[in-house]
Amino acid sequence: MANMTNLYDSSICTACRACQVACKNWNQLPASIKPFKGNYQTHEDTDGDTYTIVLMNEVDNAAHGVDWNFAKFQCMHCFDAACMKVCPKGAYTKTEWGATIHDPDKCIGCQYCTYACPFGVPKHRKREDKIAKCTLCADRVTEGLAPACATTCAPGALRFGDRDELIEYARERVKSLQANGYPNATIYGINELGGLNKLYILTDTPDKFGLPVNPQTYGTINFWQNWVQPYFGWLIPVALGASAVSFVTTRLMADKHQDHPVEGGHE
Amino acid sequence: MQWLPEYRDDVPRVERFTWLARFTHWGHTVTFLLCLFTGLILFLDGVNWLAAIFGGYYGAGWVHRISALAMTALIGFGFVFGFKGVLVWIVDLLRFGFNDLKFLVLFPLEFFGFKVKVPPQTRFNGGEKGNSMITPFMVFLLMISGYIMWFPSYFPASWVRVAYPTHDIAMILSTVMVCMHGYLGSFHPGSGESFWGMWKGTVREDWAKHHHAVWYEETYGSMAGEKPKTILGLPVFEEYKSKPKDAE
Repeated sequence: MANMTNLYDSSICTACRACQVACKNWNQLPASIKPFKGNYQTHEDTDGDTYTIVLMNEVDNAAHGVDWNFAKFQCMHCFDAACMKVCPKGAYTKTEWGATIHDPDKCIGCQYCTYACPFGVPKHRKREDKIAKCTLCADRVTEGLAPACATTCAPGALRFGDRDELIEYARERVKSLQANGYPNATIYGINELGGLNKLYILTDTPDKFGLPVNPQTYGTINFWQNWVQPYFGWLIPVALGASAVSFVTTRLMADKHQDHPVEGGHE
Repeated sequence: MQWLPEYRDDVPRVERFTWLARFTHWGHTVTFLLCLFTGLILFLDGVNWLAAIFGGYYGAGWVHRISALAMTALIGFGFVFGFKGVLVWIVDLLRFGFNDLKFLVLFPLEFFGFKVKVPPQTRFNGGEKGNSMITPFMVFLLMISGYIMWFPSYFPASWVRVAYPTHDIAMILSTVMVCMHGYLGSFHPGSGESFWGMWKGTVREDWAKHHHAVWYEETYGSMAGEKPKTILGLPVFEEYKSKPKDAE
């Protein structure tokens, strides 16, 4: 099955945040009320009850004055997902069409995934002591529907469909944007972290949208998962094995040299 | 086949560890092992049967945390009530010198049962000095990284990411030391008597003379009562090349 994903077009989004509401509605998530900070950014980050937010970046631009750059932010459903790698309980799985699904029944709330994720997306839901994040509406998609956010998007900034087809569409759209006053327009998500199962059409470079440029899995997480966990632990059975060998050889040698004290050891 | 050397009260014995040292030692043993087995559940990527022993993953998580708190309390307890003992311990570690190096070089042979001639050792031999330096340092790292992992939201995210591999490496190194220490302090024929030192507090006098000649001479033998040479309060790294007279 081909990868199915959302394409978000920042040049169309009006930041109405209906996607946030639709997400809450479909996933039956309670409101997550934050203090007013004097700007439009009601939620600065996703949380245990908020799977998606719209980032509202105000960026100085010599040509336009100030750009108000919107970016819908949620789990990127990375092909090589760090959350899956670190989860000690195997709570994360990939659907055959590319969504990264988290199973709360397996989750023990250790939060390894929160800190391993290059986007910091999986969040701890305190009331259940479990992690929660965007599911790419896997329950809807398997029934032939589009995700709640894409269904509700009024201006049509979110399109859901075959990833390859969406990339083709995005390339055309970016060409058009580049020719019409957005020379830095780009696609985000094709190659980042080996490919994201979320695509973005951005009117400027990713850093102007609060997205990491060339995101990477953290070195400490790679070291931990690729070296410490699989190899270093073998030192323990080596120590136990050496002790077992010594237990036998010390007694065999003591039997051989009966003239020496039974207790063995050094002279 | 003999497991432990027999405890003999028919021969002269000398005190090796006070009740406070023994209490904190065995307290650490229990809390460390509880932390180890509950922690291995996650290190080995979800061992369900091991988790079940502790009442499932949440139960194991709480046993891990409560044991860690108890271990932290024990460290505090040991430092407060046994401060002098800790100082004596550290001072002995600072005497690490040529005889200890020689011990470490010969140790692998002795470990597997070959007869070797080991130079006289202080209260703790070269191997014990190594264990006394590595294990507490690893436990310190386990404590720091453990509390960061327990309360990640109070620390910078980069610290939390460093804490994960640190906790694992410190666990592995301390567990290796604990395995070796556990075996050498019990079933290894040469050093098994030291088990009674930590269990009952005393060791056979002849064993003490034989295995820790410098300590024995300074504490109970001909040099008892003499102050060790110090410069600015630190012991001089002095070697005891000549064997005490009455040692074997």
